[in-house]
Amino acid sequence: MFEPHPAAITPAPASHRRALEPVPAPPAAAAPSARELWLAAHFPRLPLDALLPGTGQGRAAAVTATDDPRRSIVACNERAARQGVAPGMSLNAALALVPGLRVEERRHPAEAALLDRLGRWALQFTPVVSLEPPSAVLAEVRGSLDLFGGVMALWRRALAGLSASGLQASLALAPTPRAALWLARADLAMTVTRADAMPGIAARLPLACLQWPQDTIATLQGLGIRNVADLLRLPRSGFAARFGPRLLDELDEGLGRRPMPRRRHVVPERFDERLELPVATELTAGLQPALEYLLGHLDAFLRARASGVGTLRVDLLHRGQAPTRLWVTLTRMAGDVEHLRELLRERLAQCRPAAPAEALRLRSGVLLPLTLRDAGLFERGRSADPEATARLLDRLRARLGHQAVFGVSPVPEHRPERAWRVAEPGGTAPVPLSWPASRPARPLWMLSEPQPLDGWEGALVTGPERIETGWWDGHDVRRDYYVALSRAGVRLWIFRERPPGQGWFLHGVFG
Amino acid sequence: MSDALAELLRHPALWRGSSAVAPRTVSTGFRLLDTRLPGGGWPLSTLIELLVPTAGVGEIRLLLPALRALATATPGEPRWIAWLAPPHLPYAPALADAGLDPARMLVIRPRAGLDGFWAMEQALRSGVCAAVLGWIGTAGDQALRRLKLAAEEGCTPGFLLRPSVHRAECSPAALRLALLARDYGLDVEILKSRGGGPARIERLPIH
Repeated sequence: MFEPHPAAITPAPASHRRALEPVPAPPAAAAPSARELWLAAHFPRLPLDALLPGTGQGRAAAVTATDDPRRSIVACNERAARQGVAPGMSLNAALALVPGLRVEERRHPAEAALLDRLGRWALQFTPVVSLEPPSAVLAEVRGSLDLFGGVMALWRRALAGLSASGLQASLALAPTPRAALWLARADLAMTVTRADAMPGIAARLPLACLQWPQDTIATLQGLGIRNVADLLRLPRSGFAARFGPRLLDELDEGLGRRPMPRRRHVVPERFDERLELPVATELTAGLQPALEYLLGHLDAFLRARASGVGTLRVDLLHRGQAPTRLWVTLTRMAGDVEHLRELLRERLAQCRPAAPAEALRLRSGVLLPLTLRDAGLFERGRSADPEATARLLDRLRARLGHQAVFGVSPVPEHRPERAWRVAEPGGTAPVPLSWPASRPARPLWMLSEPQPLDGWEGALVTGPERIETGWWDGHDVRRDYYVALSRAGVRLWIFRERPPGQGWFLHGVFG
Repeated sequence: MSDALAELLRHPALWRGSSAVAPRTVSTGFRLLDTRLPGGGWPLSTLIELLVPTAGVGEIRLLLPALRALATATPGEPRWIAWLAPPHLPYAPALADAGLDPARMLVIRPRAGLDGFWAMEQALRSGVCAAVLGWIGTAGDQALRRLKLAAEEGCTPGFLLRPSVHRAECSPAALRLALLARDYGLDVEILKSRGGGPARIERLPIH
């Protein structure tokens, strides 16, 4: 039957036009056939497992959503599930069912970290691993089937690994990543290896496995659609017009009519090497050559990758004892081992290992790309080269301790002892403008605590400057400050509490 | 023979009394003092020793104009002023009032012992400091020599503040001053200066 081109009748804005055009189904021949095989692992209880590992059997526990006023449950353990708690339930309902329920609030960073670890775990099967946040991992395993002895062997191995870790997981294998995700989310535990088998299975896939927005699912259910097979029977153009082309694309990805490019999960590189010592020693002089050796390797490692490190850890491994750990954290990332060597030598010289070390392990933090800069030929001593500053700070802190090196920063505050604070060198706020410009002079030295001046005799030069403030936070001061001259000729900043009577206090020296 | 001698005399480590080339200096900010110092100010890239009877007689106020000039003299990233083992904490609001950027102050508080020398040497040698002020009491000749060398290497003036009791000891510092507070001013006695003679300035008005 003739159907006029919709775009010809209604001149829609460009953004709408795509949805209104009839959407032809991509030819099945162009689809990636079963040349690929994707393993999907879905972790329905990931929010719980990330916070309370191994809580399958213990107390009933549940994790709630953070961005939800009802604090609805996102995951619960088996014990809670047996007593009727289910995801989606409000916290009040869950507590009514299980009064002793242990409740934790969902923490997304912990979940991301666990998913990242699971991604690393999946790398044992194939180098092509991709994360599907929030709770699934995908791995393309076609190429590794022979290595592991077939589909079933690989399946069993993956299952054994996951159940040993105590995580609740459902696995699925399918020719496309999207289909594998659907099957895993539906907990069908299926291995589909043929590219054309998906439409046949679609009737067993509930709408929930699509993880589409809640209102979309509700609309579809209102249309009497219960599973993916029903969905596939809908006219394509109507579907695209109503729900948007993106969801149609997802369906095509699931059926292999459209590729679903995946971003590979890449594990950040680190340097990690250990060296057995020929003789167990606790003398730092004996450890030095081994450290030099490992640093030589680190140097080559960093050079080959044009990278630098921000942190470094040295473990002295003892027999039957926890290792002695030395940390070096740099003010600025370094790509040059010479600087690291100097810092480590300093740390090693200060370290008193409890027992002889049998081996040495050198482990770097995450590698960071190094930006090369030209070293000026005549720049020395001309400006505070940030690189040279960072080196100086690192060196001083390695020997004197982190707290021994600091900067100072003014704070807009009338109480003299609170008008400054210790700051990271260079990280000082600009001088606040709220200070009165005509304020009487302040001393260049400040005592950490005002010191009582017993029986003090000297000349008052200027004053008083009355400072009476701070009543709102319980540390109020009521003082009269004077500039005074001691007998040795030192100009002092002294005060007397108001009302007078408690004697004089020394607070600063003009230097 | 004379060629060899001339060559020897060109050696930078050799110093021939008053005929030496005037050192590069920065004005002290006090005209009275500038006229008495060889080169007309504090020599750069060397060790300067200030002997004080007690901390706070006015040594910082004496150095302030020069510190201000040194900190802002160079283009690019401003350099640091390092305070090594100061007797009290430098007070940020007062520094800001005096025209020094508190963000460029670096306070180093080492434990007692040799760490102070070591830290001062590192700060001087790094070349990222406009000036290093160190409060170090007892010091051997060897240690002071090292500091002077580090100052030369890093092109950084190192101000060593020591109690007056060390006045009689010999010191490799290029400039040695003894300070004494008097009548709201400062008596400055030049004990030793490379390329100049001893001198005395009374009641230098420092404010």
